[in-house]
Amino acid sequence: MLNSLIFIALPYMALALVLLVTPYRFLSNRLTWSAYSTQFLERKMLFWGINPWHYGIIPVLAAHIVGFAFPNQVKAFLGNQETLLIVESFGLGLGLFAVIGSLVLLLRRANSGMLKRVTFTGDWLVLYLLLFQAATGIYISYFLRWGSAWYLHTAVPYLWSVVSFDPQLAYVTDLPLVVKLHAAGAFLIVAVLPFTKLVHMLYLPVDFLKDPPLLYRWRSK
Amino acid sequence: MDVRAQIVMVFNLDKCIGCHTCSISCKNIWTDRKGAEYMWWNNVETKPGIGYPKNWENQERFKGGWVKDGNQLKLRALGKGPTLANMFFQPNMPKIDDYYEPFDFDYGNLAGAKEGNDQPVAEAFSQVSGKKIDEIQGGPNWDDDLSGSRIYAANDPNLKDKKVIESYSSMFMQYLPRICNHCLNPACAASCPSRAIYKRGEDGVVLVDQEVCKGWRFCTSACPYKKVYFNWNSGKAEKCIFCYPRVESGQCNACAHSCVGRIRYVGVLLYDAEAVEAAALNEDRDLVDAHRALILDPQDPAVQEGARKNGVPEQWLESAVKSPVYALVKEFAVALPLHPEFRTVPMTYYIPSLSPVLSTWGDTHKLLEHGMIPALETLRVPVGYLASLLSGGNEGIIEEVLKKLIALRVFMRSENLKLPADPAVLAEAGLDLEGTKRLYRLCTTASYQERFIIPPQQREEQDPELRKQQAGFGILKKTRGGK
Repeated sequence: MLNSLIFIALPYMALALVLLVTPYRFLSNRLTWSAYSTQFLERKMLFWGINPWHYGIIPVLAAHIVGFAFPNQVKAFLGNQETLLIVESFGLGLGLFAVIGSLVLLLRRANSGMLKRVTFTGDWLVLYLLLFQAATGIYISYFLRWGSAWYLHTAVPYLWSVVSFDPQLAYVTDLPLVVKLHAAGAFLIVAVLPFTKLVHMLYLPVDFLKDPPLLYRWRSK
Repeated sequence: MDVRAQIVMVFNLDKCIGCHTCSISCKNIWTDRKGAEYMWWNNVETKPGIGYPKNWENQERFKGGWVKDGNQLKLRALGKGPTLANMFFQPNMPKIDDYYEPFDFDYGNLAGAKEGNDQPVAEAFSQVSGKKIDEIQGGPNWDDDLSGSRIYAANDPNLKDKKVIESYSSMFMQYLPRICNHCLNPACAASCPSRAIYKRGEDGVVLVDQEVCKGWRFCTSACPYKKVYFNWNSGKAEKCIFCYPRVESGQCNACAHSCVGRIRYVGVLLYDAEAVEAAALNEDRDLVDAHRALILDPQDPAVQEGARKNGVPEQWLESAVKSPVYALVKEFAVALPLHPEFRTVPMTYYIPSLSPVLSTWGDTHKLLEHGMIPALETLRVPVGYLASLLSGGNEGIIEEVLKKLIALRVFMRSENLKLPADPAVLAEAGLDLEGTKRLYRLCTTASYQERFIIPPQQREEQDPELRKQQAGFGILKKTRGGK
C-alpha cells in the first residue's frame, strides 16, 4: 500500500502537475514568476541561509540528475573505491551545507517580523519540504553508505520504468523506509513546484551572457 | 550617424522651491500600492545632503554605473560570471534601511477608540510588518532643508569643505528633484540577467517588463542614481516610466504638469546612437562636452535625413526644432547632466542654481555696491560643489553656465527697471540680445505650450491589440497573497 502510494501514485501525480500546471501558469500569470527575494527586508540571516542552501543543493541535485540520465557512464566513473569515497565525501559535505542553509532560512522566516506579510503558506511548505529532503538525504548518505553507487542500481532503473509508463516496483520495495521517504519528498517537491516560488528554478538566466549589454525594443521593428 | 529621438526633461534648479508636489502627484498615480510604498520614482532632495536613498552617490558602497576599463566600459558592480555566482544573495543591493520603513497612521483609532481619560491618537505603524512604530526613523526627505546637517549635509560627497555649512554667513542650500534619467547607456539594463529592462527605440523610455523580470535585483544597485526599486510584495523591480501612458497621449508627465515652480521642460532631442559608447569613454572632465556632441541639430538637413531613414516621424522632427530642451541643453548650453561621471549618459538635464543669489557675508555682501546680483567670483555657492554634481568636476563648464545665468539676470533686471542695460554684459557671457530674450522667456513666463513640446504618437493606430500585452509595470493582475 505504502509502496504503491509512494512509487506509483505520487510520481504520476507529480508528473501530471508539473507538465500541465507549469505551462498554464507561464501563459496565464507570468507576473508571479519570481523567486520572491526577501533580501530587501532582511539580509543578515539570509546571507548565512541562502548561500549554503544553493551552493549545497545545486551540485547534489545535479549529481542525482546526471546519475539518472547517464547511469552507465556514472557506474564506470564510480568503479573504483577512491573515486567513490571522494564523491561520497563531497556529497555529504554539500548536503550538510544544504541542511544548515534550509534550517537557517526556516528560522529566519519564523523570527523576522519584517517578513511576516511576505510569508505565505507556500513558503512554509517549500521550506519544510526542502529541509526534510535535505535531512533525509544526509541521513542516507551517512548511515546507508555508498548511496551514489546503489542509487544507480535501484532508484535509477525504477525512475526509467516510471517515465516509460511501466513502473517496476521490484527495484525499490526492499529499500529502507528513510529512502522511501526521501523518494516521496522528491515527488512532493516536483508536485508543488508549479504552485510555489520554486518555479524560479525553471528559468536559467543565460541569455544575458551572450547578449549585447543594452536591449532595445521597437514598436515598428 | 544613427539618428534617434528621445523625449527629455530639463530642470531649472533656480526655480525649484522644494515643495514636493511633483513627488506627491507621481506617488498618487503610480506607487500608491502595497510593496511600492517606499518608492519615490520622483523625489526632491536638499543639497547639500545625502539624498534618497541615503548616500546614493557613494558608488564605493553600491557599485553603480560604469567604469572605464582601457578602451571599454564595464559595469562597476559585477561581470557576467560573478553575476551568476551572486544570484542568491546580491552583495551590493540597498536594503530597506537605506530608504526608510514605510509607515502610515492608525486614523481609525481617532473615531473608534474606547472612551477613556485621554484623547485618542493615530499611532504610526509599519506598512511592511504592520507593527506599531514607536519612533519613526526616517523618511524620503528626512534631511529636508538641511535638517540634521551635521549628520546629513556634512556627509554629502560633493561638499569638499564641510565648514561651509557650519556657519550662517557661508551656508547655502538648493533643491535637486530627481526622476529616472532614462539614460542612453543604462547600467540597470546591462546588469539584468533576465533581460527584462529595455529602452524603447522610438522615445528612449527605459522600462522594466514585469512579465520577464524574475527579481534577481542586480538593477537596483547597478543604477548609480538608485532609481530602480524592488517591490517587496510582487518580487520584481519597478522604476519611473516617464509617465508613458500620459506622454503617448500628448499630456506631459505628472511631475512636470504639477510643478508649482514651473521648473520643468519636456521636449524632443535627436542624438547619435552610434557615438554613445565612445562619448561615455571620455575623461570625467570632458564628459559634458561629449554629451553635447551627441545631441544633434534638428535643423541640419543631414540630421533630418538620417532621422527619417530611422523612421522618426515628421511631427517629431517639427517638435525637435521647437524643443525647449534642445535650446537649453545645446543652443544656450545652460543645462547639464547629473553626475555624468557615472557614464550612463543620463538624459535629464539640470540648469544649475545660483541660489542663494548672495555672496558670503562680509565685504562682498554689500548688495547695493555690487548691483544686487553678486559676480561669479563672490557667489556663495561653491563652483566646485556644482562641478562635482553636474560636470564631472570640470569647474570651467560650471563657470561658463553661471556667467550666462548671472548676465541674464543683470541685463534683464536693468531693462525691467528702465536702468541703462549694457549688452556688453551679455557678450562677455557668450549670449546675444535675441537669444537672451528667448532664454529669459523660457526661464520666466513661458507658458505650458512653450515648456512642454510633446509630439503626438498616434499609438491607437499602431496595433493596439498587440501593445495591450506590454506594460511597464504590473498592477492589473494579482500578485501573491490575493491582493
